[in-house]
Amino acid sequence: MNNNPKSPLLSAETLGFFVLRGWLGVRALLTGIEKFSGTKTVTEALLGADGQPDPSGAMVEVDKKVYGLSHYHAIPESFQTSFSNQPLMPDFLMKPFCWALGPLLIILGLTLLLGIKTRLSLAVQGVLYIMLTSGFILINQDAGIAWLGIHIVLIALALKWEKYNRLTITRS
Amino acid sequence: MKSFSFFPEQPNRRTFLKMTAGAGAALAIGNIPAFGINPEKNDALNIAIVGCGAQGRVLLEACMKIPNIRFVAVCDIWDYAREYARRFLKKAGHEPNAYTDIEDMLSKEKNLDGVLVAVPDFWHAPHTNMCLKAGINVYCEKMMSNTIAGARSMVETMKSTGKLLQIGHQRRSNPRYLVTLNRLIKEANITGRITAANAQWNRAVADDLGWPKNAALPAETLQKYGFKDMHVFRNWRWFREYGGGPLSDLGAHQIDIFNWFFGTAPTNVIGNGGVDYYTTHEWFDQAMVVYEYQTAQGVARAFYQVLTTTSAGGGYFEEFMGVDGTIKISENPNITSIFREARAPSWEPFIRQKLLAESIDTSAPKSSAKVDARETAALAAYKLPIVLNKAIHQPHLENFFAAIRGEAKLNCPADEAFASEIAVFKAIEAVDTKKLVTLTPEEAHV
Repeated sequence: MNNNPKSPLLSAETLGFFVLRGWLGVRALLTGIEKFSGTKTVTEALLGADGQPDPSGAMVEVDKKVYGLSHYHAIPESFQTSFSNQPLMPDFLMKPFCWALGPLLIILGLTLLLGIKTRLSLAVQGVLYIMLTSGFILINQDAGIAWLGIHIVLIALALKWEKYNRLTITRS
Repeated sequence: MKSFSFFPEQPNRRTFLKMTAGAGAALAIGNIPAFGINPEKNDALNIAIVGCGAQGRVLLEACMKIPNIRFVAVCDIWDYAREYARRFLKKAGHEPNAYTDIEDMLSKEKNLDGVLVAVPDFWHAPHTNMCLKAGINVYCEKMMSNTIAGARSMVETMKSTGKLLQIGHQRRSNPRYLVTLNRLIKEANITGRITAANAQWNRAVADDLGWPKNAALPAETLQKYGFKDMHVFRNWRWFREYGGGPLSDLGAHQIDIFNWFFGTAPTNVIGNGGVDYYTTHEWFDQAMVVYEYQTAQGVARAFYQVLTTTSAGGGYFEEFMGVDGTIKISENPNITSIFREARAPSWEPFIRQKLLAESIDTSAPKSSAKVDARETAALAAYKLPIVLNKAIHQPHLENFFAAIRGEAKLNCPADEAFASEIAVFKAIEAVDTKKLVTLTPEEAHV
C-alpha cells in the first residue's frame, strides 16, 4: 500500500479525496458495466393469488435484465443514428471509440477504486468525457453537455487534490 | 375413452429405448412435426374434417401441434381443396381417407371421435346434426347456422344425443381473454362498473375470390350441394342464401365477447348499414349496431361496427369501458391496451401480480394537454403481459379434444353460443329494418 506521509489517513482532505475518487470510480465502473446490459423476455406461468398456476394455463411475458457481451452497446441507438449523420464524426473514428468505450470505463473505474495510477486514470477519464462532450455538442444535446461538464469539474478537483490520495495500490 | 397421457404407461428401459429410437427415426424422416404428434398411438383421437377451404386449413394448421390426434378422414365437395388437405395431413404423418360426401364418410368411418365442421354456414346445421346423430362429437365453426331454426336444431340435437358440440368462438379458450375476464374484470374489478362497450372489425376492400380455371366444379355437383354457380361457391359469404354477411362472419366473434363479458344476452338492438360499395354482393358491406344490455351492475350499451371498405380505424378489437378503467383487447396483442382513469385505486398490486405491465405511458395524466376545460385528461395506458404462443385456434381445439377425453368442460358449448347467435340475427334484422329490435330471454335460450 502507498501511504502519503504528508497527509494523515483520517484528515478531512484525505477522506474528501477518498470519497471523490470513490464516486468517480463507481460512476465509471457501473456506466461501463451497464453498456453490457440488455433485456431478455422470459415466459413464465401466471400465478393466482394462491400461488398456483392460473387455471387458464396463461403464460406471462416478463422482461428480465441480463448482462453479456452480446448486449454490448456503447451509446444508445438513437444517438448512434444522430452521430452517423455528422460529417465531423467519421465512421473510422466512431467505430474504434464505440468499441473501446465500455471496456475503458470499466478499467478506469477499477483503477480509481483500487488506487492504481490515480492521476493517469483521472486524466484519461477527463479526456474520455471531453470526447463524449464533443459528440453531444455536434448533436445539440445540451443536457448531456451540462451533465458531462459536472463530471469534468469533479475530475479537475480530483486532479488538484490528488496530493491527498491515500489507500492506493500504486503511486500516482 | 382412454385417459390422456403423453406416455400410456411408465416406460421401462427397453420401451424407453424403443420410443426414443422411434422418435429419432421419425424426426430423421422429417414427416412428423416437432411437437410430438404421433398418429400411431393407440389412445389418439380419430378426427375427421369436413370442409377444407380457408377456415378448414386454419383449423388443420392449428391442430398440427396438438398431440395424440389422428386425422382419419377429410371431406370436401371440391377435390382441389380436399386434395390440399389430404396432402397436408399426409406430410404431417396422417393417412386420411378422402371423401366428397359426408354421408359416404359417416357410413364408412366407424371409429370417429370427433368431426371438425368448416363448411359454408348453410351446411353447418345439416352436417353437425348428422354427425351428432351418428354419435360423433362436433367442433363447428361459427356462425352456427344461417338461420335461427338451424342453430336451434343444433342445440336440440346436442342435448338429445348427449354428444359434445363446441362452437368455434376461439376467443373463449384464449388465455388472454380468460385472464382479462376472470382476473382483471371479475376478480380485480379494475374497470369498475362497465357502462359501455365498443368493438369493430374494419377490413380493406378485397376482390371476390376466384378459382383455378381447370379446378371448377361441374354444374351438377354445384347444384347438388345448393350452389348457384362457381362464383357463389367461392364467395358464398356475400350471399343471403348461404351465410350471414360480415356481421355474422366477423361480428359474431366480437358480439359473442359482448355476451360473454357481460354475462347475458342483449335486450334490444338498433342498427344501420347497407350494400354501399360492392356491386356483386347481397350482404351489406358496412354495418353499425348498438346493443343494450341489462347487466348485473346496470345498463350497458355496446356499439359494434364492421366495415369491409376500409382498414382504417384501428383494425379489430373489443373494448370494455368502465368508470375506473377500460380494457381494449384484441386477438392481436399489439392492439391490446388497458387504460386507467385518474379516479381509480392504485393498480400497483396488479402489476406485481403480473396481470398488468407498465406500458406506453403510465405517467400521471397531464391537465395541460387539454384543449377544452370540459375535456378529461388522457388516460395512463398499461399492457396486458399475457401471451399466447400458439395459433389462435389451438387452445379452443385443445379444449374440444380434452372434453372428448373427459378432461375438461367445453368452453363454448352450442347452448351458450346460441345466445350470441341470436344477438347477431337480431342485429341483422335491425340493419335490414332500420328499427329497434328486441330480444327476450326466452328467445336467447333453447
